[in-house]
Formats: sequence, structure tokens, C-alpha cells
Amino acid sequence: MLTLTHISKSFPGVKALTDMHLDVRAGEIHALVGENGAGKSTLTKVIAGVHQPDDGQLEFDGEIAHWATPGAAKEAGIHVIYQEFVLFPHMTVAENIFIGHERRNTLGFVDHKQTRKDATELLLRLGVNIDPDTLVVELSVADQQMIEIAKAMVHKVKLLILDEPTAVISGKEVDLLFERLKALREDGVAIIYISHRLEEIFEICDRVTIIKDGCYVADHDVSSVDRNQLVSLMVGRDMSELFPAKASIDHIGETVLEARDISVAGRVHNASLQVFAGEVTALAGMVGAGRTELAMAIFGGLPMVSGEIEIGGTVFTHMTPAIAIREGIGLLTEDRKGQGLAMHLDIAANMTAADLASVTKLGFLNRPQEEAIAHDEIKSYQIACWGPRNPVVNMSGGNQQKVLVSRWARTCRKVLILDEPTRGVDVGAKAEIYRIMRALAQKGIGVLMISSELPEVIGMADRVFVMRDGNVTGELVGTDVTEEKIMHLATQRLAS
Amino acid sequence: MTFVSNTPPPAKPKLKAFVKRNGNQFIVLGLIAALLLAGSLVSDRFATSRNLMNILEQSSALALVSLGQTLAVLTGGIDLSVGSMISLASVLLSGITDGDPSMVISAVIFVLLLGAFVGLINGSAILFLKVHPLVVTLGTGAALQGATLLYTMGPAGKMPLNFDYFAYGRFLGLPVGALVAIGLFFSVALFLRYTRFGRYIYAVGDDADGAKLMGLPHNKAILLVYAFSGLMASLTAVFLVSRFGVGQPYTGANFTLTSITPVVVGGTILAGGRGGVIGTLLGVYLISLLNNVLNFMDISSHYQQIVQGLIVIVAVSVYVEKKRKL
Repeated sequence: MLTLTHISKSFPGVKALTDMHLDVRAGEIHALVGENGAGKSTLTKVIAGVHQPDDGQLEFDGEIAHWATPGAAKEAGIHVIYQEFVLFPHMTVAENIFIGHERRNTLGFVDHKQTRKDATELLLRLGVNIDPDTLVVELSVADQQMIEIAKAMVHKVKLLILDEPTAVISGKEVDLLFERLKALREDGVAIIYISHRLEEIFEICDRVTIIKDGCYVADHDVSSVDRNQLVSLMVGRDMSELFPAKASIDHIGETVLEARDISVAGRVHNASLQVFAGEVTALAGMVGAGRTELAMAIFGGLPMVSGEIEIGGTVFTHMTPAIAIREGIGLLTEDRKGQGLAMHLDIAANMTAADLASVTKLGFLNRPQEEAIAHDEIKSYQIACWGPRNPVVNMSGGNQQKVLVSRWARTCRKVLILDEPTRGVDVGAKAEIYRIMRALAQKGIGVLMISSELPEVIGMADRVFVMRDGNVTGELVGTDVTEEKIMHLATQRLAS
Repeated sequence: MTFVSNTPPPAKPKLKAFVKRNGNQFIVLGLIAALLLAGSLVSDRFATSRNLMNILEQSSALALVSLGQTLAVLTGGIDLSVGSMISLASVLLSGITDGDPSMVISAVIFVLLLGAFVGLINGSAILFLKVHPLVVTLGTGAALQGATLLYTMGPAGKMPLNFDYFAYGRFLGLPVGALVAIGLFFSVALFLRYTRFGRYIYAVGDDADGAKLMGLPHNKAILLVYAFSGLMASLTAVFLVSRFGVGQPYTGANFTLTSITPVVVGGTILAGGRGGVIGTLLGVYLISLLNNVLNFMDISSHYQQIVQGLIVIVAVSVYVEKKRKL
């Protein structure tokens, strides 16, 4: 159905895809796996006509294709369900399903009655009970995903691409999604399935293509590979090299932070956890389980409706970011660009942003001092730049993350919270960030890391708290930190 | 998510869906009713057909210009050049005509085309220079005002006497200008609801990137709405010249901001993708009624401005979504 040969694509400063191959057949579910930043999204967008390849050949349905726009690819029968759904939130379900393919009467006017009727029928065929008159903004994420699939069916889809479809749904919803995908496979649709969750690939996919650093690595029948082979193909090296040694028992100090029965309206329910000096503690769970919200509540960024936080012996029932910083807590947000870095300011200004007092004399900023600080930090973190006044906006994700880590590492004395610290950074920068986290812990700081990547949790954490649906469902320590135990606590399929 | 049931989902009561879609307009209708009541209490002369016709007549200019503005806002943009466009079209229309009845039709067509053309320039700059509509139209607005003043510093030319039919004429006892405005509002409302292109205007406003990813005609939608907004600004100028008998270089100055008031009061969200033109029409009448009632109460026009300003803020605060705060 789809054959890519020698596809290359560059963006200013980055080579996103090099000599990529991909061969997807009709009636199969084809997994595309690779690390974050391996080029899966770019590849998806090349197939979908969002980006045009610089080089190479794209053959679809027996013809060589050059799509200038997403519309052209869609016309040819390609439908992509992106992680961020392409739905119009303030239109109804029916309107969304038929957008671009409006049902019209003989005069060419939009036929609202027919639209609603066809939408009802289609949803029924999908086996979901959704009112076609509902506004999409009012639907659950899982239902929104079903609307995306319904759209694909309207468009007479030949190739369906799903980018991390299970990142936002869980349990029964995943089962239902898989049923739908199998039904589409029966109908001869080719499906490209992108996921980080290897167990899903073994559950539903027929073949798998591995991509690494923008390059084709291998493709296999799923039945002929095992999990470890896949991982080593994806990473290209032994995972254990990435992670520094864990804390030894005598390193671990006292409790630096204890959160008791924290609730955040609608998102977190009576969650408790402890962070110990000298340890890396992970907060694991699915996206949307309330991990970020719990961390935000601890830092004072979200109001807690109940519960208390104890930091170094002092108990707080009300927290604000100013108090948290004063008490020695730092937070690296998940959204580096939106909530973390001032993108158009330079490295030095970003590094000192949380602690401007230290570089202020008589109300004036001491710029040479600021630069001197930044200079040392750039050296010790090996940040690639031309100097302390390099604006962070044109640096790579990994280097930006190092600037943020440096900011908080300088100011936080007790606890550093990192929300998905390695999202979107390359393997080299990952290893560097792991090393820094471990070094901070060795200095006696309690490190609390939120991560959705299990290998990272297992490789880094001395202690893991797992969340599910706003509750902390368990705590794992030392050798208990295993993939099976975390997944069990994070999904609790058995219990539900 | 629910699993398959063998029965189709229950049909939602139509009334409920209707209220949900048009809820904002009911608020405005309620306020209009309240004002009608208040007006009747304030003065005997309020509820006369003469006064009500007067309100309709006076509100036509605001109605026309805010119709175009509504479409720009629906796509998530704004058109701040309408005031200057009105001024330029006014002086050109009466300047070119200069009292010669044989020139009227070509002059009208010329300024209408000019308005649409300026709108296309706005749209193109937004699309191809990737500059925010607010900045683009602020810039073209300033340029148009400059061009107007280069053309004339004072009233320019004059119109034939019977040209005032658009502003003061009656058809079936109703003001011609108001009939034209209402007709256009309903045409555009039907266009938005019953054509694919109308649907795409909402889609572009709701999620512009999504619309592009879906392959919807995003660029055409932007070009069309700004061209239409420019066209409506020129039509407003035609109405105003008809009303005053002559074009003046600052005729449109107030309209840039006042054209936004009925749009937001009528429930169209500035972020785009939600709202509609009927709400705007109701917003126009709400504001005109308000000013009229305040007039009867002998409250000066300066206070009217204050009240109008407060109404905008209150209206938007009513419509605003209660978002989860960080």
C-alpha cells in the first residue's frame, strides 16, 4: 500500500530523516517504533503531505506520489490521527465527522438532517454511543478519538496512521480501540501504529519497523522478534549504559519532603508521598493520572483543596511558588517552552531567573557577575552555545533542558522536581541529564522525577510512587522497581 | 465511553439543542425586551412608530460595518481598518460623483470594489507575511486615513439630492437602509449555516492549524472574510454619504471600535470559531436602543459612551468560558 525508499528530510540545522525506508501492506497493522526524537513524527508528516521530502520516493497505492498539501494526501486516502486530535472543539460531533465531506442536498446546500443521520449510523457501526449533536469539546478524550476514527471511515481511508493513540486512554478504552483497529484491518486498511508501549505492539501489530536518529534500522515480523531485541534495536546500545549507578543504602538521608493526603479539585485525590535526601524518587503512571497536578500542588502552582506538605520539619497547608522556592524546592515543568524558559532571553538571564537577588546589588543587576555564573554552569553542564548571552530559542531541546536544570540546581537546596525531564531530547542529552540528576542526589538533594518512560523510571529511580486516576496506588523501593509492578499499579486492569 | 447498545442514541430534544446553540442570543433578546420596557416607562414618545423607525434608520450604518467585522472575528481575526476605509470610500464617492447624477452608479461600484480590494490586501498580508490581523489592519487603517487626507482635508464634492433614498427612503413603510442591512444579515447567516464554505469559516476560527491539516481551504476563507469586511465598510460609506449628502474625511473614525461592540455583545467570541451574525444584528439593535433610551432620559452622549463601554466588558464576561486556572 505504502512504500518509502531513500526518504530524507532536513530542517534548518537538523537532519530529521536520512535514507528512510518503510513498507506497509494493505490489511496489516504496522508498528513504527523508535525513541523520542527518532523522527517518527516527521516521517508521519511526510506521509501525510505536511512536509515534502527533500529526497527519495514515496509510493502509495501503486503510484508515485508527491503531495504538496495535507489535503492532497487526504484525498488519496491517508488519514492521520495525531496525538493532538484535529477536531474543531466548538462544532458538533456530526459536523466534525463530515468536515470537508459535508452532506449536501441537490441544491448544494449543507443538509443538516442528513449529516446527523449519517453520523448516527457511522457511530453505531463503530459501536460507540455518542450523540451526534454534542459539541466535541464536551466529549471525553476516548470519545474524541472515536470521532477521529469515524472521520477516517468517511474519508474512505486506505492508510490510517495513529500516533501514540493509547497515551491518552486506558483500560477498556484501549481494548475497544484495538477491536476497531482489527476490524479496519479485516477491511483491508493499512494501519501504521506508533507507540512507545512495546507490549501493545506484541498485542496488536503484525510487522514492525524500527527507526533511530532519523534512519531506518530494521523491519521484522512481530512474531520473529522479542522485546529485548526491539529495545536494543531502538536504542542502539545497552540501556544500562545510559544510567548512572543508583544510590547505595548508606547514601540515603532523612525525609526532605512529605506530602500528606493532597487533593486537587477533580485531578488528585488524597495523594501522599515522601522524598528522601540522596534519592531519586520517580512518580510514574499514565499521562493524565494526575502526576503533574500533584507536583504542581506541592510546588504551589495549583491550589490544594486538602492535605498538608511538610518540608524539613515545617508543615504547610497552603503553598505558593514563592514559599516553595524559599523553602528550597525547585520545579522543572513539563512544558519547557511555555512555563519554563523565557525563550527569547539568553542563557545567563534564564539561569538566574529564579534567584535574581543573588546577582543584584543596590537594586541593579550585576551583569558581569551573571555572566560569570553562566560561564561556569555552561562548562560544568557542557551546554553547546557561543556564550552566556546566547538566546535559548535557537538551542536544541537537550541544551535548553540543561539550562533549566542548572537554574534550579543552583537555587534549590532540598528538593528538585522534574516533570518529564528528557521529553524530546536526544540520547546524548538524556544521559547527561541522568548524570546531573544523580549528582544532585549525591549532594543530598531529594530528586523527584515525573516520567512516562518506564525504562527511565527503572533505570533511575531508587523509589517509585505510582499514580492512577488521581490516586497514589503504590510505592516501590529498590529491587521491587520493575516494569511489571509499575504497570500493574499504573493500570490496575485486574482490579477494575 | 459506552459499549454498543442495540438502540440508537436517544434523539435529543430539539429545543434544548437549539437553546444551546443560540443561548447567547436569548440573553441579548432579553436585554432588548427589557430596554423596550424601560423606554416605554421613561417617555410616551419612545414607543411610537416614528421613534422606532428612527432607531432602525440610524442603526443601519453600524449594522453594515459590524456584519463584515463579525466574519473577520469568526475566523479569529479582527479588522481595524474599517473606520478609515469608510472615510476613504465616503470622500471618494462624493468627490468622484461631484453632483453629477450620471456618475453615481460607477462611483458606487468603484468604492465597493475598492473596499473589497483593500480587504484582499489585508487578507494577503495576514496570510503571506504571517502578521497578526490586528497589526495588519491597524497599519492599513492608518495608511487609508492618510490617503483620505491627501485626497481632501474637508468635505469633498456633493451628491445628487435623490441619493438620500438609501438613508431616508421608506419601502413598505420601513427604512430602506435597515431593510438592506437585515436582508444582508440573513443572507450571510444562511450562507454560514448552509454552505460548506460557511462551515469552513468556523473551522478556521476554531482551529486554524487543524483546518490546514484537514486540507480545508484556509487561505480562501481568510481572503474572503477580509474582502467582505472591506466591501461592507464601503457599503457603510455609501449609506453615510447618502445620509449626510457629502463625504467627509473623518466620517468613519468612530466605526473601527464601535463595529466590534455589537459583535462581542452578540456573543461572537474574539478567539474565533463561535458566534454568528444574527447575534451581531441583535447587538446592533441593543446598542442603538440603549442610546435612544438614554437620550430620552436626557443623559448626555458622553455618558452613553461610558455605559456602552461597561456593557462590552460585562457581555464578554458573561460569555467567557470558565476555564480551569493554573
